[in-house]
Amino acid sequence: MLRIRDASVTFPASDGQDVHALDHVSLDIAPDSIVVAVGASGCGKSTLLNAIAGFLPLTEGTITLDGKEIVAPGGDRGVVFQKDTLLPWANVLDNVALGLKYRGVRRSERHERSRRLLELVGLADFAEKPPYELSGGMRQRVGIARALATDPKILLMDEPFGALDSLTRETMQQLLASVWAKTGKQILFITHSIEEALTLGTTIVVMSPRPGRIVGPVRGRFRPRVCQERRHRADPVQPALH
Amino acid sequence: MTLAANSPTSFSPSTTQRRPSLRPRRSASTGTLGISLVTLAALIALWFIAARFGWASPLFLPSPAEVLTQFSAVWADGYANGTLLDHTLASLGRIAAALGVGIFLGIPLGLLMGLNRWVKGIFSVPIDLYWGLPPLAYLPLLIIWLGIGETSKIVLLSLSTFAPICFAAQAGVRSVPAERINAALSLGASRLQLFTSIILPSALPEIMTGLKIAIGAGLSTLVAAELIAAQSGLGYMIMSAANFLATDVVFVGLIVIAILAFAFTSGMRWLEHRLIPWKGKL
Repeated sequence: MLRIRDASVTFPASDGQDVHALDHVSLDIAPDSIVVAVGASGCGKSTLLNAIAGFLPLTEGTITLDGKEIVAPGGDRGVVFQKDTLLPWANVLDNVALGLKYRGVRRSERHERSRRLLELVGLADFAEKPPYELSGGMRQRVGIARALATDPKILLMDEPFGALDSLTRETMQQLLASVWAKTGKQILFITHSIEEALTLGTTIVVMSPRPGRIVGPVRGRFRPRVCQERRHRADPVQPALH
Repeated sequence: MTLAANSPTSFSPSTTQRRPSLRPRRSASTGTLGISLVTLAALIALWFIAARFGWASPLFLPSPAEVLTQFSAVWADGYANGTLLDHTLASLGRIAAALGVGIFLGIPLGLLMGLNRWVKGIFSVPIDLYWGLPPLAYLPLLIIWLGIGETSKIVLLSLSTFAPICFAAQAGVRSVPAERINAALSLGASRLQLFTSIILPSALPEIMTGLKIAIGAGLSTLVAAELIAAQSGLGYMIMSAANFLATDVVFVGLIVIAILAFAFTSGMRWLEHRLIPWKGKL
């Protein structure tokens, strides 16, 4: 359970008027849910994600993950960025295995686990390729596999499909839904597209800018397309993955 | 090179994609190779014709045949206290030593300057100050301090190769995308892992560029330094020959330097292909 309590982030501005990027935001993200934060640019949704990831210190308030306060980035929170951040000098497999390498997992084991994740995102045949030979959508799929590799408790996704064309984006949304169905990870998904929010979210949070706030109605149990899909499948959380 | 990613071969089915990143670039280089060779041949032909029809006095423009004869003479019998090989090796030794110093001091210091604001603050002032000076302006001072022997020349050359390498390493660290660092941190990288697995490889393209600039700067400083104060080396050979109006020997020296410069450039290009085939991608 991710618990955000009265989280504020204030940036000092040159003209003395501080920017309240995030203003006393409280939010819980339950396990097994996809929370989508939607809002116009400047509403603090990326700030919120960066604070949860540990890239940005809070000015006020606390964020805890399973009771542990977040102070720095760490492998228990997987991040998928808008711009893909794959390493061009490593092939796809080694990119996915990066987090496992940092943990000192043996080469054969981390490759085996990474191959399974590549299968999950449908890129098993591209393991040996350098990332720059992949399309934008494929690179984001590698990014998702990489974020999942360390078996994080939560997946943080910052407009991951924002730069993709609409057809690829739809495919990616379906892929994410099936990944979620198979792994049961809690996901915080940032987008500016209301349509995307309605497609993906089990909970939708609307944010407003200046100061960055969550505006009501905050939470509600939505039953969007992918959730119905998930219910029909009724997959048990797949134990084979980790 | 950025265009290569968009070339049609990138879109071919995966079975034919064994080395797709190399193919477009290779065809581009063979595409200009022929033209360049023809240009080179035309220049040499022009030289032949100019010498043959006496457009310029042989004192100013020796014929290619003369230069070739002189080349074998200097190779076998030597000129100005040494054979052509001696002079070439003397010059190469100096530049190798200078590049070694530049690399082994410049890269670590540059990386540290990129990482730490204190190191940057302390070292950027002296480096900026001396890098602005033409090397030949402080060569006399180095000779007064260190004598006329090899030390002063190698220090001079090292100073001229050190700065571009150091600046490049520093710029390389600065150029690492913040998101790449964040991604590594969120995957659980320690500070050391962050440095070795992200910052160092990300800085490599910049460092290679700095190395190319350093070789260029080193080569021009080398010859200039040898023209002024040396008992060996290609620059010294050229200067000695010029004193006796032995233009053909001057030509021999120039051609050898041109070949060396070309070899360095090609070597660096090859090294870039080997070490950073991903440069400019992603």
